Amino acid sequence: MACDDAISCREAVAMVQEFLDGELSEVPAEQVRAHFEACSRCYPHLRFERSFREALIRAGRGESAPAELKRRVEDLISGVAADGSSEGERS
Amino acid sequence: MTDVSTERESKRGFNEEALPHLDAVYRFALRLSESPDHAADLVQETFLRAYRSWEQYTRGTRVKSWLFTICRNVYLRGRERSQRHDELVEKHSERDDTLPDPVNPIWATVDTVDPEGAFFDSIVDGKILDAIDALPEEHREAVRLSDLEGLTYQEVADLLDVPVGTVKSRLFRGRRRLQAALYEYAIERGYVPAGSVSSEGG
Repeated sequence: MACDDAISCREAVAMVQEFLDGELSEVPAEQVRAHFEACSRCYPHLRFERSFREALIRAGRGESAPAELKRRVEDLISGVAADGSSEGERS
Repeated sequence: MTDVSTERESKRGFNEEALPHLDAVYRFALRLSESPDHAADLVQETFLRAYRSWEQYTRGTRVKSWLFTICRNVYLRGRERSQRHDELVEKHSERDDTLPDPVNPIWATVDTVDPEGAFFDSIVDGKILDAIDALPEEHREAVRLSDLEGLTYQEVADLLDVPVGTVKSRLFRGRRRLQAALYEYAIERGYVPAGSVSSEGG
């Protein structure tokens, strides 16, 4: 396919990270998106990077703090809040 | 408003906005301290300080990155107190703004066998997390904060006290290394046919 002449394949590939991060600063995201959607050569690169990101997000979601720690922090905050105003007077 | 009702309002705001990030702060603390007990202490101290400073928190900024900053400060202060010296700060003062080659070498390798990286989907979560933990510290931090915790380049830069260019360099290089490690694992497990990967340095 003929690539969109607004952005070359090389430029699109160079911007794939910032595009997926939502951090493009020099080129509008729509322009980069249009290139990837229209260019059969570049599109798999976008999909590849996206698959990678999705795998990381999925892996990260499984990590959570122990329930006991959550309880302790909540108790701690409740305790501080309970004597918050009197502590404020003391300090 | 009375002191009691102000306190109640403050606690409600804190519970709604800050406490939901406890898992993320725990993950962050775990990577700083590398011990679950120490991480738990860091988390408690972080939330205690955050609660006491809640009035100073600037609404509209991201609570998560504010909490990470507190957690990191608590950690660094603890290290200073225990006289163990600060390789972290020294490392973070390094300047490396160069980005890797925009053409990912793995793309060429998987081009005909799995161009869209479907093999990533076959890799179990634990293996992905192990591979992240095996990255060099600077890369690991950037990948975790950006890809797992969703912080922006600027938020990561503020947190680590490095320029945005350095964050991008560490992040992009870290991702390359991670992709190479996961790709090799996928070959070993037969999720994708073998090819040759030219390794991404730095």
